[in-house]
Amino acid sequence: MKHESIETNAGLLIILTLIVISIGGLVEIVPLYFIDSTIEEVKVEGKDTIHPYSSLELRGRDIYQREGCYTCHSQMIRPFRDEALRYGHYSLAAESKFDHPFQWGSKRTGPDLARVGKKYSNEWHVQHLIAPRSVVKESIMPNYPWLMKPLQYKNVRDRMRALKMVGVPYSETTAEYEVNVKRFGEDVAKNLDILKAEENLIAQAATGNYDGNASDVTEMDALVAYLQLLGTMVDFSKFDDGHFADFR
Amino acid sequence: MVASSALGSTLGSTLGSTQVEQYNYDIVRKFTIMALVWGVLGMTAGVYIASELAWPFLNFDIAEITFGRLRPVHTTLVIFGFGGSALFATSYYVVQRTCQTRLFSDGMANFTFWGWNLSVGLAAISYMFGYTQAREYAEMVWPIDLLIAVTWVVYLVIYVMTLRKRSQPHIYVANWFFIAFILATALLHIFNNMAVPVHMFSLESYSLHAGVQDAMTQWWYGHNAVGFFLTAAFLGMMYYFIPKQVGRPVYSYRLSIIHFWALIFLYMWVGGHHLHWTALPDWTSTLAAGFSILLLMPSWGGMINGIMTLSGAWDKLRSDPIIRFMVVSLSFYGMSTFEGPLMSLKSVNALSHYTDWTVGHVHSGALGWVAMISFGSFYHLIPRLWGTKMYSEALIFAHFWLATIGIVLYITALWVAGIGQGLLLRAFDEYGNLAYTFIETVSFLHQPYVIRAFGGALFLTGTLLMGYNTVMTIRKAKKEQSEIDAKVAAKLANA
Amino acid sequence: MFEWLSWFTRMENTKPFVLVLFSITFVLILLYVFTNRNRSKRLESYKNIPFQDDDEDGQSKDIKNEQ
Repeated sequence: MKHESIETNAGLLIILTLIVISIGGLVEIVPLYFIDSTIEEVKVEGKDTIHPYSSLELRGRDIYQREGCYTCHSQMIRPFRDEALRYGHYSLAAESKFDHPFQWGSKRTGPDLARVGKKYSNEWHVQHLIAPRSVVKESIMPNYPWLMKPLQYKNVRDRMRALKMVGVPYSETTAEYEVNVKRFGEDVAKNLDILKAEENLIAQAATGNYDGNASDVTEMDALVAYLQLLGTMVDFSKFDDGHFADFR
Repeated sequence: MVASSALGSTLGSTLGSTQVEQYNYDIVRKFTIMALVWGVLGMTAGVYIASELAWPFLNFDIAEITFGRLRPVHTTLVIFGFGGSALFATSYYVVQRTCQTRLFSDGMANFTFWGWNLSVGLAAISYMFGYTQAREYAEMVWPIDLLIAVTWVVYLVIYVMTLRKRSQPHIYVANWFFIAFILATALLHIFNNMAVPVHMFSLESYSLHAGVQDAMTQWWYGHNAVGFFLTAAFLGMMYYFIPKQVGRPVYSYRLSIIHFWALIFLYMWVGGHHLHWTALPDWTSTLAAGFSILLLMPSWGGMINGIMTLSGAWDKLRSDPIIRFMVVSLSFYGMSTFEGPLMSLKSVNALSHYTDWTVGHVHSGALGWVAMISFGSFYHLIPRLWGTKMYSEALIFAHFWLATIGIVLYITALWVAGIGQGLLLRAFDEYGNLAYTFIETVSFLHQPYVIRAFGGALFLTGTLLMGYNTVMTIRKAKKEQSEIDAKVAAKLANA
Repeated sequence: MFEWLSWFTRMENTKPFVLVLFSITFVLILLYVFTNRNRSKRLESYKNIPFQDDDEDGQSKDIKNEQ
């Protein structure tokens, strides 16, 4: 075949171009869905410790996305000594397996947040989000005072259903609930019940009291609930050193 | 922003010459104007968010203009608004000129104009109000994604149908690059934006992929937005406008064949280098790194082809500011396609990733290569589209210097910022503890950030000069046209 | 059923495999494009296409091939 045949035939040019540009993506992406070792199994006493977000945490994650936090904060700790000292154990693929979309980020104008959960108090987070420079003088983060407004959670069931469609194990039927109990334990499974989404959300905001005001549910409640969960699902003391290195 | 697009179209259509042209230049004029409009808006947003990083009070506690929401506004306006419109304009021009035939359908071309500009405008507004997919460079919410998909299919149809009715038996190399760009963008856009909406009437959605697969899909998209949108297509521009401007054919047509196939093949593999040392399996990112190194060859092959085309015309470098834009653009193309493979090495990436070095690298490509080749092409194009000379050559020279100095300041500042921060973050004291807290490295960034914002402002000023020069050129053309019309009318009256 | 794919995930297999495959293809393309004098001449002649459309500036259409 002469190269002229391609140059003089638009159809051939298109087909060959499509073939040539498809190979890379096919080879690199498709296997990620089929090779089991891509995502680690993280089980303690037979239960999956990495679980989907509760309805409140999910709304918090939505707000994290809305404000574009990913433009300055990563959620992916790399296996280096400085990052281990600064942020903790390197991130596992399993830790973001329920993240639609992933929020690994690409830039650290601020520090990594993959394991920020439980590192600071709720009060610290609230103060820091409203006025970062009142806590960290040199910070260049914007103030987020509008997070104190009431949280919209009317469509939280729709959100969970959409996520269920893309593979997150939220439950609607008793059978699905039972599967979740077996997989994650009862405490977690309760929070994954779509039909009790609003109820759970209000209860978690009240007991967690993330924004310092137990009586209302604000966006701050949701966002802080999400931040406090980040990186806390795996208890690394339960695993041997180097256990996860085999997956790399 | 929607208002400004309406302005663009009226300018474009009223100023077109009255008789039916052999080629559809009207659509080229409209996209040219919109490229400048989006360019000015997008670069203004860029300078503003750069300033927010230097002086955080500029966020003013207004949700709509905080860094996190404005950053996608900036990237969308410059990549898809400025870059996209520039590509629509030049590809429609080049395909008509090299096929020596009129564009397939005026109506469909107009549809792409409205579809594209509406998408860009709506996307920018929706981010400010917090509607985003939170996927870098693909933040548009799903209804906008659908509009883009439809627009893009129409674009493909126009392009292919125009190729099919060409009078010239051969499809010139510039068109191969444009075709590859259109096809690849369609592929990337569709697969990366697959999502399930929260509700039929909700703008929000959740992506089909999750975690590690989502990350790979997103960076397969993200890097090829660079590879095809910001490189392959602009190489199409290069292969037409550089030969035309210097009046010499491209240095080696055979090299361009190798360049084309190697480039489009290799680019699709390299996205994984954005995910070095992450939870992405090692084999994927290593493969991506390997291909990134290989990519240096076709990139430099293309650059050499461009430079050698210019090499017979060095004497024009003094007198022709357009050729200067082209030389600088190719130099930055060569520089950033060398820097890219370097940064894709795992050891270098360990330092550079997550820092401003990456941001600087992107801008040496985006400002140095993409914007400079577009400016050069537009200065070639505008006089031909409106049938007159540019209003001021001095302003073109001024634009050239502002842009060049702006880029140099910008990338130097971010080399200092990125490499500096990378080194500080991995420094240990004598006891093996971390030598610096994170916030200490943030304080270190202040000075480079100020210089970066200043460099960006210089670049923006150059673009504003170009906008002014273009408006004055169009006015001049209008005046000249009405003078000719008056003469003709007078002659007719006398006869 | 997809476990055979994991053969490709092992770097010691994939690297030489891919290297050989792509190198051969690349060299074949190079040979095709740059050998054979007639073919080269023919291919190079297409670079004048952008100059066959000159209408408005009335410049010469016949820009001679430098080769």
